[in-house]
Amino acid sequence: MNFYVKIGDFELRSPLLLASGTWGLGEKEISGLEYISALITKGVSKDPMPGNPPPRLAEAPCGLINSIGLENPGVETFLKEYLPRIKKLGPKVIVNLHGESIEDFCYLAERFENADVSGIELNISCPNVRKGGIHFSESAKDVFELVNEVRKRFSKLLIVKLSPRSNVFDIAFACEEAGADALTVANTYPALAVVSLKPFKVLLGGLSGPAIKPLTLRLVYELSQKVKLPIIASGGVMTGRDVVEYLACGATAVQVGTALLIDPLGIKKIYKEFEELYQELEWGS
Amino acid sequence: MYKARVLENGELTSSIYSLVLSAEDSLLANFLPGQFVKIKVSSGYDPLLPRPFTVHAIYDSAFEILYQVVGRGTKAMSRLKPGDEVEFFGPLGKPFPRIEGSYLVSAGGVGVAGFGYLCQGLKPEFSLPAKLLYGARTSAQLVKLDFFSTLLPVEVATDDGSLGLKGTVADLLLAELNKQSYQAILACGPKPMLKALAELGRTYGVKIFLVLETLLACGTGYCLGCAVPSRRGGYFKLCVDGPTFDAEEIDLEFLR
Repeated sequence: MNFYVKIGDFELRSPLLLASGTWGLGEKEISGLEYISALITKGVSKDPMPGNPPPRLAEAPCGLINSIGLENPGVETFLKEYLPRIKKLGPKVIVNLHGESIEDFCYLAERFENADVSGIELNISCPNVRKGGIHFSESAKDVFELVNEVRKRFSKLLIVKLSPRSNVFDIAFACEEAGADALTVANTYPALAVVSLKPFKVLLGGLSGPAIKPLTLRLVYELSQKVKLPIIASGGVMTGRDVVEYLACGATAVQVGTALLIDPLGIKKIYKEFEELYQELEWGS
Repeated sequence: MYKARVLENGELTSSIYSLVLSAEDSLLANFLPGQFVKIKVSSGYDPLLPRPFTVHAIYDSAFEILYQVVGRGTKAMSRLKPGDEVEFFGPLGKPFPRIEGSYLVSAGGVGVAGFGYLCQGLKPEFSLPAKLLYGARTSAQLVKLDFFSTLLPVEVATDDGSLGLKGTVADLLLAELNKQSYQAILACGPKPMLKALAELGRTYGVKIFLVLETLLACGTGYCLGCAVPSRRGGYFKLCVDGPTFDAEEIDLEFLR
């Protein structure tokens, strides 16, 4: 197949990337990595984070709600112990960054500027503690400042992962103006599951899976007509047809996540389905 | 996922079922006692997640699981007919620890499922337990009693006294530990039972291994969804660090 796109200097020969938080940090074998352009790591923060106490999961119709709580070993351990192993897996590596202030993100961006990674993806669906905990993604001004500061410190591929619960258009323009290279559209949707009625107990988390595909597809479609930045779609891709739909609606590439959690052999299946449809549509010719 | 055909599926007693699936012998050869599979029942997206089950028994080109109908996934599973196709993946998780010396297995209700393959004695590196202590609410809930009785000595307890000791698995274990010493106990069953056994183990200075359950998404260590709190802080992943844990390693609050 002759699929080939470029985002800045970043070349992709498959439209598929593995989404953050859906393959751990390379501790366990992953099948089908030869069909993947890049691995996006689980969110890495400045200090280690233990993650949330259980329950961390709930099932929803056609979807999964998760509240993992960004469990990760912190940047120093990540660089020393995890990155060398992840590099050996083959695909290019993009590190998803979690910060609670612009300073956190800048610190992390500097640490990865000289590390052997192809790019970073900023998770802005997190509270900005300096601003009283309001989420970065709620303020286009904060996002502009964040991306602008990170851009000064990071010369490689800079992706911003949008939250679907925000004014995505204003945020996308802010990212574009501040010099981001691409957008990931989008993170999981804020959701709630009632875990038990007596005692009343809820799980607040992010919804992923096929349930959100029509919602994210619309975001991708509308955003791609308004912003010039390449869009990496992320939301409920389960089949090759889903990949093609996202590309047809304006995405440059597509992340796979929940599908891999369900079927550990799913990457190859999705790629082969995509390849067949891509050729059938004569997109490559 | 791998494809499998349903060979048998039927109710053993009210709400507890047995499902026998076809599988390649070359794949089954990799299965060790204590490991589990995940089975996707629907061909569509609802329910979305495959369900985890310990392997109950392995036969020629087939394996069996036992399940209790508790939600939408197992409800759908109970409707499967011989000849239907399902998808599964495994083996997942760590096998049971290999115990040198005399040890017991103790099960509450459908928790007995995971000990069948061990007691079949098909893997010589896993020694057979000395005895199975098996409890349920009533005698009708003691599924597969004949199967286990042909493989090893079994002592039973029922809440209503309809068979064996009137009481719980913990009562059986207490009586057993007062008679004889054991290297270890492997336990699988409801949380209150596991908690009671863990406490007995501590009192008697005997190692207790608990087979735990929680909602799983991937089962392969990718999503970090199946957190089990460690006694030393932080979390284990049930799917790759377990499902069997040394009771001393985990925070027993998890069993509340």
